[in-house]
Amino acid sequence: MGTINSAFSLISGALEADQSALSIVANNVANANTPGYTQERPNWQENQPLEINGVSYGQGVTETGATSLRDSVLVTRLDQQQQLASASSARLTALDSLQALFPPDSGSASAKAGDIGSDITTFFSSFASLEANPSDASLREEVLSSATTLAGDISNAAASLNDQSAGLGQEAAGVTSQVNSLTTAIAQLNQQIQTTSPSADGGTLEDQRNQDISQLSQLVGINQIKTENNGLSITTTSGQLLVSEGTSFQLSSGLVNGATHFFLGNSDITSQLATGGGQLGGYLTAATQDIPSAMATLDQLAYSISTSVNALNNAGTDLNGATGSAASPLYVFNEPLQVAGSAQAMAVIMTNPDQIAAAGAGLGPGDNSNALAMANLANQAIAGGATPTDYYSNFVSTLGATVSGVQAENMAQNASVSQLQTQNNALSSVNLNDEAAAMSTLQTSYQAASQVFNILNTIMTSALNLGVQTTVS
Amino acid sequence: MRVDPTYVSNLVGSLDQAQANEQQLTAELSSGVSITSLGQNPVAAGENVLLLNQIQQDDSFTQTSSLVTGQLQVADSTLGSVVSQLTQAISLATSANNGTMNASNVESVANQISGILDEVQSLANTSYQGQYIFGGGQTSTTPFTTSTATSPSVTTYNGDQDVNYLQTPNGQKIQLNVPGSQIFLGTGTNSVFGALNALVADYSSGTVNTAQAVGDTQALNTALNFVSQQRVSIDNSITQVTAASDAITSDQTQLITAQTNLMQANVAQVSTQLSLAETQQTALEDVIAQLDSSSNSLFSKLQ
Repeated sequence: MGTINSAFSLISGALEADQSALSIVANNVANANTPGYTQERPNWQENQPLEINGVSYGQGVTETGATSLRDSVLVTRLDQQQQLASASSARLTALDSLQALFPPDSGSASAKAGDIGSDITTFFSSFASLEANPSDASLREEVLSSATTLAGDISNAAASLNDQSAGLGQEAAGVTSQVNSLTTAIAQLNQQIQTTSPSADGGTLEDQRNQDISQLSQLVGINQIKTENNGLSITTTSGQLLVSEGTSFQLSSGLVNGATHFFLGNSDITSQLATGGGQLGGYLTAATQDIPSAMATLDQLAYSISTSVNALNNAGTDLNGATGSAASPLYVFNEPLQVAGSAQAMAVIMTNPDQIAAAGAGLGPGDNSNALAMANLANQAIAGGATPTDYYSNFVSTLGATVSGVQAENMAQNASVSQLQTQNNALSSVNLNDEAAAMSTLQTSYQAASQVFNILNTIMTSALNLGVQTTVS
Repeated sequence: MRVDPTYVSNLVGSLDQAQANEQQLTAELSSGVSITSLGQNPVAAGENVLLLNQIQQDDSFTQTSSLVTGQLQVADSTLGSVVSQLTQAISLATSANNGTMNASNVESVANQISGILDEVQSLANTSYQGQYIFGGGQTSTTPFTTSTATSPSVTTYNGDQDVNYLQTPNGQKIQLNVPGSQIFLGTGTNSVFGALNALVADYSSGTVNTAQAVGDTQALNTALNFVSQQRVSIDNSITQVTAASDAITSDQTQLITAQTNLMQANVAQVSTQLSLAETQQTALEDVIAQLDSSSNSLFSKLQ
């Protein structure tokens, strides 16, 4: 049989439960704008009923703490998508600066300045003009000046590419220190979580750990592996261990042959990081793929033009009747020895326009057959199996297609991230409407419980006074 | 169903996107160029390089062709003067051959023809912009010199047989010169200088060996015809250059149109897009303002 005393104890338990539930709601409202905070719900638990003489009596309620509303699959999925999105976004930033070196030529005079495509045409056209009057000094001067412009623009573009590559290396190296501080923090949180809540959701600590992991996955591509006692190990996408429960392993960077490389312990993991995703992956993809590929194209172009023009000029006869020899070659450009590095080294070494060999071997100064041959180089497949202009046009299209591909990829990934973000927010972020409703409900139930308490009090008084209204009230 | 309580921030994302779109469209309008970076339209950017290459080649050829036409016209008018000089020499020789002249008159004819010889030689040594035009590839060496050591005197050619060609952007090759020896020192009776030197020798003594002189006059006549034939090939080159230049100019016009269509912003279209983007931005701003002002949570209703 239940007693008034047991009713007292039951309802005071309810008041306590309501209070702690109210404090959970208050905490939710307080953290409504805290990044990474996951909204918490009070856990209500019906107390074990009491059985007396075969009759079961309810024993009220207990509030056993708060549970974070978290979907760990969704969170992991969001992290993974964020890795991809931040990789493509970092790569896109690098590609934007890359493509800015090769702006489309609108055809206006100002747009032509620095345009390599236009330089190539002007250079070979200057030989075509020389056909008209091979011994004309001003036409010869024109050949040298257009050659200087071409060589200057190609070598400037190559120098800018190298600068961009070095800049990306520095930015990527800057990212490693952020990665290291995050992995250190995650390792510490792992220890705390394993100690405080080995078998359940870590609550606030879990929020912090997830927030750190989310930031980490924007910086570098990672995999998460749950371990026992709610611990966590983190590896890079290709499997190098960054955090093993309570221990973190530091990334370091250094220069290898002028390029920034990344190390975990003693092993060089640059290429693995490049394909792994995250900001670091994006930077490295640009620095190890996109820029070198643009550089290789420029190198090939510079090498082909320099060697082809040099070879023909060396074989012809200049205005003074001289023909190039091994001892004193008639070279327009400095002769590259290998393709790599040709672009940045491209320069005009000929100083006297008389040395342009417009005439064929052994022919008089009025002959133009060699000028015609050099002009015809513009229509020959001298550069990587294509004419110089086709080759450059192809390069421009390829670079543009890469940029536009990464743009599309980035847009799709961002859309997917924001969709996942929305799903996750819908579940885990604090909805003030819900909190207001919960507050209102708890207020009502607290008021009801206190009313019950009040009535019980009156009943108890009556019982103590045995129906006579005297001392105890 | 649960909702994302931070949906206003998503709207702000859309607002940013609308603004970026407006920025791009404004840049297109102000520059007049529709493709400002390679990534916007990679295929058009590549095509643009090829079109500009052709336009520039055409442009350069048009300039070169006017230079070449000048040179060819000088050659043509020089040969015109040669023809009239030779015609005059023939009529002088014909009158000397008819047997009515006394010795001093015949000597005078010899002097006059000698003068014509000098004149023709100087025409054959014509230069254009400092370059001898009838010397083949040897444009800096005087093509013709005459030695008076023997009788008849001998005119020799110091140039070579080099022929220059101008190549059009379409690959057509146009002959730019005829070597002087081919015009003035043809084989046999085709040699202008041979016939003139022979006639001077025929008449310089005052007595005329009629058979010899008639034969040499005949040779000069043949040589004159031969010069006219060579002149035709120069005239042909002038016609070819002019025709090629006209064709290239019209080709260039078409290419410029194509390039303009490819690269130039369509003002009407861009303006419409800009206006749409502005409307979208205004609408988004209104929505965001509305959501913000209604302090959207139940808390505002709780007492």
